[in-house]
Amino acid sequence: MYKDLLIRFTLGGAAVMISYLITVLSPWKILAGIFAAFPAVMITAVLMMGIASGSKKAAKIANGSVFGMIGGVVCVATVWTVLQVSGNWALSIVLGLLFWLGSSIIVSSLRDRLKSVRENKSSIKVNIHSGIQVRHK
Amino acid sequence: MADLSISALLIRFLLGGAAVVVSTLVARNLGEKAGGIFAAFPAVYLAALLTVGLDFSGEELVSHSILLSKGAIVGMGINILVAILAGYLLPRQGWKRGLAQAMGFWLVVSMAVVIITTY
Repeated sequence: MYKDLLIRFTLGGAAVMISYLITVLSPWKILAGIFAAFPAVMITAVLMMGIASGSKKAAKIANGSVFGMIGGVVCVATVWTVLQVSGNWALSIVLGLLFWLGSSIIVSSLRDRLKSVRENKSSIKVNIHSGIQVRHK
Repeated sequence: MADLSISALLIRFLLGGAAVVVSTLVARNLGEKAGGIFAAFPAVYLAALLTVGLDFSGEELVSHSILLSKGAIVGMGINILVAILAGYLLPRQGWKRGLAQAMGFWLVVSMAVVIITTY
């Protein structure tokens, strides 16, 4: 628990710090933004799941994080658009958060639907398969 | 741009770390559905964006925030590719090797984007 939080703190803190260092020291300004999007949470979650439950479950965490990252893209795109359109920094952050929340809820609901459709399909397959076995007997 | 100082670095390290830890703790206390959504909170990006506000104001703040967001949107695209790759590599290579290779991919693609966009 505390080890997990410590790793998250270190990775998150280091990403913001490196992003700042790049902004000040390097001519590659785009790299600062790339570091600002560093997937600290995903890495820690995969790492901790790998230690606790092995590679297959860690892979599931990585696959699941793709859905969460879509919300992140929406958040950054909103901030960027609002900054370019209005030039209002505070408004861009507020709208970025709102759009992140809205898109994350939509993506999460779609993901749940996709899961239930897959589960229904697999249960239908099992029923057909067991039906065929009963007839053979 | 402001001069580089230990205190400026420390503030960013603490803010970035705190943002990630707080969003993790909130996610854990919100229950499965809302917690799952909050687990993907873009804490690092928002912490970086807020710390831009420490150094700049007015037009400069807006232009630096646009620059940061431009890089971050590329970074988030790379992250999606990394997560898909990790999901593929981990069961085949083991989580240690798979995660290391996925992070290596992140670094290589990030540097490639920097080279392509700069030169």
